[in-house]
Amino acid sequence: MTTLALAFRLARRELRGGLKGWRVFLACLALGVAAIAAIGALSQAVQEGIRADGKVILGGDVAFRTVHRPAKPEQRAFLQSAGTVSSSVEMRAMARAEAGPKTARTLVELKTVDGDYPLYGQIELAPAQSISAALAVKDSVPGAVVGADLLQRLKLKLGDRIRIGDATFAIRAAIASEPDRGGRVFILGPRVIVSADALAKTGLMRPGSLVYYHYRMKLPAGTNLKGWVEDVRERFPDAAWRIRDASGAAPGMRRTVARVTLYMTFVGLTALLIGGVGIANAVGAYLGGRRETIATLKCMGASGRLIFATYLIQVAAIAAVGIAIGLVIGAAAPFALAGVVADEFPVPVRTGIYAGPLIFAAVYGALAALAFSIWPLARAREIQAAALFRDVVARTRRLPRWSYVLATAGLVIAIAGLAIWSAPSRYLATWYVIAAAGSFLAFRLAGRLLAVIAARAGKAAQASGRAPRLRLALANLHRPGTPAPSVVLSLGLGLTVLVAIGLIEGNITNQIRNRMPAAAPTYFFIDIQSSQIAQFDAALKSVRGVEKVVRMPALRARIVRIGGVPVRKAQVGPSARWAVRSERGLTYSKTPPPGTRIVAGRWWDADYAGPPIISFDARIAAGMGIGVGDTLTFNILGREITAKIANLREIDWQNLGMNFTVIFAPGTLEKAPHTFIATVRAAPGTETAVMAAVTSRLGNVSAVRVKDALDTIGQMLQRLGGAVRATGAITILAGLLVLAGAVAAGHRRRVYDSVVLKVLGARRRDMLRAYLMEFGLLGLATVGIAAILGTGAAWAVITQIMRAQWTFLPAPVLVTVAAATVATMIFGYVGVWRALGRKPAEFLRND
Amino acid sequence: MVVLDDVRLTLGSAAGEVNILRGIDLKIRAGEAVGVVGPSGSGKTTMMMVVGGLERPSAGRVLIDGQDLGQLDEDGLARFRRDRIGIVFQNFHLVPTMTALENVAIPLEFAGRRDAFERAREGLAAVGLAERVTHYPGQLSGGEQQRVALARAVAIKPSLIMADEPTGNLDRDTGQAVMKLLFGLHDELGTTLLLISHDEALAQRCDRVIRIADGQVAAS
Repeated sequence: MTTLALAFRLARRELRGGLKGWRVFLACLALGVAAIAAIGALSQAVQEGIRADGKVILGGDVAFRTVHRPAKPEQRAFLQSAGTVSSSVEMRAMARAEAGPKTARTLVELKTVDGDYPLYGQIELAPAQSISAALAVKDSVPGAVVGADLLQRLKLKLGDRIRIGDATFAIRAAIASEPDRGGRVFILGPRVIVSADALAKTGLMRPGSLVYYHYRMKLPAGTNLKGWVEDVRERFPDAAWRIRDASGAAPGMRRTVARVTLYMTFVGLTALLIGGVGIANAVGAYLGGRRETIATLKCMGASGRLIFATYLIQVAAIAAVGIAIGLVIGAAAPFALAGVVADEFPVPVRTGIYAGPLIFAAVYGALAALAFSIWPLARAREIQAAALFRDVVARTRRLPRWSYVLATAGLVIAIAGLAIWSAPSRYLATWYVIAAAGSFLAFRLAGRLLAVIAARAGKAAQASGRAPRLRLALANLHRPGTPAPSVVLSLGLGLTVLVAIGLIEGNITNQIRNRMPAAAPTYFFIDIQSSQIAQFDAALKSVRGVEKVVRMPALRARIVRIGGVPVRKAQVGPSARWAVRSERGLTYSKTPPPGTRIVAGRWWDADYAGPPIISFDARIAAGMGIGVGDTLTFNILGREITAKIANLREIDWQNLGMNFTVIFAPGTLEKAPHTFIATVRAAPGTETAVMAAVTSRLGNVSAVRVKDALDTIGQMLQRLGGAVRATGAITILAGLLVLAGAVAAGHRRRVYDSVVLKVLGARRRDMLRAYLMEFGLLGLATVGIAAILGTGAAWAVITQIMRAQWTFLPAPVLVTVAAATVATMIFGYVGVWRALGRKPAEFLRND
Repeated sequence: MVVLDDVRLTLGSAAGEVNILRGIDLKIRAGEAVGVVGPSGSGKTTMMMVVGGLERPSAGRVLIDGQDLGQLDEDGLARFRRDRIGIVFQNFHLVPTMTALENVAIPLEFAGRRDAFERAREGLAAVGLAERVTHYPGQLSGGEQQRVALARAVAIKPSLIMADEPTGNLDRDTGQAVMKLLFGLHDELGTTLLLISHDEALAQRCDRVIRIADGQVAAS
């Protein structure tokens, strides 16, 4: 019989004992696998939802978008010849109740639809009616359908009239569901839908106004979408439109989901890593209990390989059970959480059982189970047959054979490699792996250090002859076989994650809720015509409270070539991709705007009159691999303009001020139709008056309240933060499992200790105090290190990855630290309480 | 044939080196039964471990049936034990998750015998436990457990049986029954027997008695 076949047979017999002794192993593995599987499955359910609803979210098979100007007639004619086209215009505008006070105005997201809308999906109105009927002119007033939030904000009811620009609309229905709205994550105001004819009467569509023109298409069945889009690009290489097909619907949402998934997967992996400590402990404890059997088998001629194989098979079998439990939980997660996710986030969820994430989680689980088991298994094979005759604890070698050390290293590298390879951002994943490995080593060392310090302190206490309880507690922290190092490691890792999450979330919230509003302007006024500047300034002068006004010309354009290379073919790094995805804000200026920080090149003379030159964002330039002297080509209102980079600026986007990626030198943009944008800071309490003063005089000017936008982001982050915290709690659960396992493993010894100490005259109270001190010291040491490492990790994420300003927030750290210390003491205490209850006699008689 | 040639064993400990075996010379003929007696800590058990290849001597040679144990690596020693040596312990050392039958079959399985279970059954019958084959060690009395251990030790028909205080954990009557069985098997199989015991009377039942004191053979 081969060694393997024999090993299988022996393993099967050993497993007759059932799962007793394997509970912590199972729980640790199942928890980690379940976390990773659930996160992956839920993410896939959302991605599938976006994909399945791609056409509905996009509004067609393919969508074209231009800004400022509609597509050219020949372009539109081509689209119409290729399939059904539904045209739509979107812009931001101010709406107010016709009958209400003039100051009650709100920014709305205005949109027109035509007779073919929607090409896919249904728009649901309340009361139910067709969209064309709702928008039709009745009693010489055109209709509008609005988001329910508009009715609330302006205190309106169905049938009331609203003013937008120079036109009046009757509200005919509320929008119950808008099919193509799901693609947008960031929405500033309630939706208002009107007809194209009616929009023309508002007078809002002026030259240079920030208006987006959408052309959504339904192509004949069987059209090769990608091929067709390529043809269009070749036919109209200079067209200023952005093209998206249904497979790429909602790219921003996809990116967000992918990013959130990545972070949560890191947390899940950390839970698995922590669980790994429990796995290693459980395998070690199990094999410790099998010393006699292993030695007996060796006496009868079993080779080390046979022993290793026998117990490896057992571990693999139990691991399979743990992974299966985890997978079942993970697969069920989308079904259990779909409702919550759909309620909290604007994403479609398509529940189902997805093999991909489950396979991933299973592979992670298997690799982790092996990586953490091989070490104790390899040590078990070294158990000497002579152990049956003599206690040979001291003679087992500390390090397993090299082949097993290498195998463990290989598995760890495989896990790290899988984490990096499968991540949408290898850069972040690499940093995660480095941080995880670093923290692991740091806590390993910390555990050792704690033992050394406890030993020294114990000696000091011994020398002083006082504090016997403290001495007992210290002794328990450093005696051979103490669970302290693994508890420090596992709980510490979990706590580090929680502290880091708490601080990162706190910093972002602080940024959005306190820091940004403090520095940011109160309003952005957009679409101010050149001819309206005097009126605009006058309007601001007419009210009190205006503190600071910055006004600059603004238009939007796409970057189409980088150094002469079309954007689609250019190498653009991840940090700069956002800049070429859609239109960027452009302005022009003779002098550098206040606060400009030039990092390369120099600013132009105020009377510059040469060929087009620009000042460009330094970080985007770095991502594009270009610098001073290189050229960028823009499609501005259908015309291509190539400009040379004269200087690079460092832009602080977080001040939410007037930041332009591109500033042109005088002489290029002045004659292009454009509008002005202004930021206004208003004193507290005067905001509404300032807004009304401008928008009541300039009906086409829209006011974006920065606080509203930040609130929207803040709410979203808060919900996201809740989800991340809940995931983070899994790591603590894993840590507590390891602690529980360690306490359980040491139960027999504690019972024995307590019996002996009782015989020697110790009171139960004395021992309880000693144990309380032991777990208190353990908890304090662990949380202390975790607080430092977690703060370091949060600092790195905030300053290095998010490039935001860092504030140390004591609250999340203290709360985590206090809760964890108490939890450690309670968990440890409950474990030893049972040990103390045993009567000495029953043991002494047997012994 | 067992030969010990100036076997020494020194173990390091925190308190310094301890000389456990201090030059043991011993020859045991094939088929001979040798009783080993001596006070606690004299090195009896260590000597047995050295003979079984469970402990490597610091100096000297151990030959069993002409094979120098010093020339075998760990797995080689395991194979050698599997094929040649049967061991009976004071604490039985049965595998708790295996039935009596499986416990007896293990060495045969290790040796790759296809008839492992058949022979294990015969072995159990020979020690009077034919009715107990499906019992686990926890369901057997001490005497029964030691009889299973005996059946296991002789299952492979070893050339050498080593027994370390085999009756130490048994009451007097049970102990005697087990010893009768052990000597019976020795006579029947013609196996060499190395019996370690505190019990002088028990040792005297062997062909020869050697006394170990302070890591050396005091008398034989």
